[in-house]
Amino acid sequence: MEEHIAVKLNKAIHQKARLGIMSILMASEEAEFNYLKERLKLTDGNLSTHLSLLEKEKYIRIKKKFVKKKPKTLCQMTEKGREAFKEYLENLEKIIRNTP
Amino acid sequence: MNEDKRQEALENIELIKQLVLQTRKHVGQYGGGWICIIWGVFCFVGVAGQRLLIPHGPLMGVWWIGLAVVAGFATFLVARGYLKTEPIRAQHDYLRYFLRFWIPLMLLGYTLATFIALLPSLSNHYISIVMLLVVSAGYLIIGFMFYRGILYMGAIGYVGSIICAIFFLEYSDIILGIIFGLGLILTGLVINKQWKNT
Repeated sequence: MEEHIAVKLNKAIHQKARLGIMSILMASEEAEFNYLKERLKLTDGNLSTHLSLLEKEKYIRIKKKFVKKKPKTLCQMTEKGREAFKEYLENLEKIIRNTP
Repeated sequence: MNEDKRQEALENIELIKQLVLQTRKHVGQYGGGWICIIWGVFCFVGVAGQRLLIPHGPLMGVWWIGLAVVAGFATFLVARGYLKTEPIRAQHDYLRYFLRFWIPLMLLGYTLATFIALLPSLSNHYISIVMLLVVSAGYLIIGFMFYRGILYMGAIGYVGSIICAIFFLEYSDIILGIIFGLGLILTGLVINKQWKNT
């Protein structure tokens, strides 16, 4: 029974770095690339890879814009991402509840 | 096996909780400590200068406006420095709320202060009382709506201003300058400490 629930955990979110990205976006709605990099202690390349994966799943939206001639990469959580994150949290709770 | 899964689930929930809490704190209070300290020093210096300028009525207005510009510029520099790494939404919110909230209040304070300075029947000592009542009202609003810690500061400032106006008018600027200056600096230090501990 518990194995079954564990298998249902969303793999795109379950990885620690991606879980961190989703948690921060859940709280701030929108975050800048450098902010995420600093908070999660990730390298540029590493963070880009995780962001691309989340974007591919349509959990986040990535926008690039220029602020005072400097490029900024902004990440936003989508409605689909929000739903997936809530479901992931519910599944974590189920695992905790169902394990004696 | 199941125990491992449970342990991992607990760790993940703890990680999410911490990140969400820290991010919310960033969005709400980032840089607030130093800004409180700047305005605490503003109170001290302002009152000290006012004490010297009381005999010269209108110069006091120039003094407070000049000082507010300096403190405002310092606040801008602090906020800009901190906000470089902030979530963009927080940057917008922070600056927008700060300006929208304090500018009309300070305008009200300066207008009332100008009237007092121009009316010969009213002592110039009322200027500091009015300014600090306006600032206290600002703290009360912020305290009720966003950050409880500053509510006490607003309540003490408000009641203190009224007591000073009634009983210690002549020394009100010194008393209120010390209460507000110290209060703000202490609040700033507490916010900075909380911020470091998050």
